[in-house]
Amino acid sequence: MRFQDAARDGRAIVYAGIQADPLVRRVATQLADASASQCVMARAVMNGETTDPAAWRATFPTLFGSSVAAGPERARSEDLLAASLAVADRGEQVRSQFRGAIVEEATAILLARRAGDAAIRRERRILFDGVRAEIHPYDVTVEREGGAEAYDCKWGARGINDDVLHQLDDARSHAADEDERLHVALVVFDAQRSCDVRLDRLNAPRAGTTIIPLESLDRLAEGAP
Amino acid sequence: MAPATVAQAIDRVLTAYAGLAELGEEIEDEWSYVNDLATAWRERLETVADGDPDRILGDDVDAAIDRAIDEIGRITDPHRAIDWLSTFPQVTLVALGEAP
Repeated sequence: MRFQDAARDGRAIVYAGIQADPLVRRVATQLADASASQCVMARAVMNGETTDPAAWRATFPTLFGSSVAAGPERARSEDLLAASLAVADRGEQVRSQFRGAIVEEATAILLARRAGDAAIRRERRILFDGVRAEIHPYDVTVEREGGAEAYDCKWGARGINDDVLHQLDDARSHAADEDERLHVALVVFDAQRSCDVRLDRLNAPRAGTTIIPLESLDRLAEGAP
Repeated sequence: MAPATVAQAIDRVLTAYAGLAELGEEIEDEWSYVNDLATAWRERLETVADGDPDRILGDDVDAAIDRAIDEIGRITDPHRAIDWLSTFPQVTLVALGEAP
């Protein structure tokens, strides 16, 4: 099993520009320390119609209400609201590209807390002897001796499909064929309940694939899937 | 006007949610997914309503529910409606102090 940078085609070059936008890092850094409620707020704002911060504060009284004392948590909610609105302000086409990049970046940040920055790579293909390489790279990989990991990331449960599940499971099983351990997981910035509904409709094998929903993002920093 | 109860608020939520699901159904390929998703979240919201139906909501929570309903009322794109079929229940549950 070996890892390789994805081909730098036109799509990759455009997407690399999105990934490098400071706003992606800003939102992802905040999400990496956010509570589940704060993640729900960010999700709503980044895909909302309204761009009025006062309206969003009113929508989330448990984050911004008068009973919420000033302090780090409230400040985190305010910072995340402002950053999420900056994404929403970019317009529909751009925000949809940003959202995916943000989930990937948040995943990379959380994984780096456990595995260290040097082990975290982006947009990597995984090659196995005698197996034709997949075209699509994995969004985030952890590359280190004794336990590599591969992650795909989705903004919403609707993005889960048989193709992505097959690709993850194929990589895991090909690694096992080479007596290598490869943990595979799908990070979905959506509720577990919605992921379960989507998964129930699919036929691809997933017993060896961990699903990490919005409520459990912090698991990425705590232990291998 | 009397303060709203949990049951009354969720009744408003479910009415609005039905409209959102109807918009999402316009994506024919996702028709059954839309309905399965809506059913799953409807059941979760009904469980919350049944758990403590007569609890009086604070004005801020009541207003938050109205604001969330207003937000989905602005949606015209069926793809976005499908995304909000997941987001809207989470938003309302967070407003009610419940876990999604």
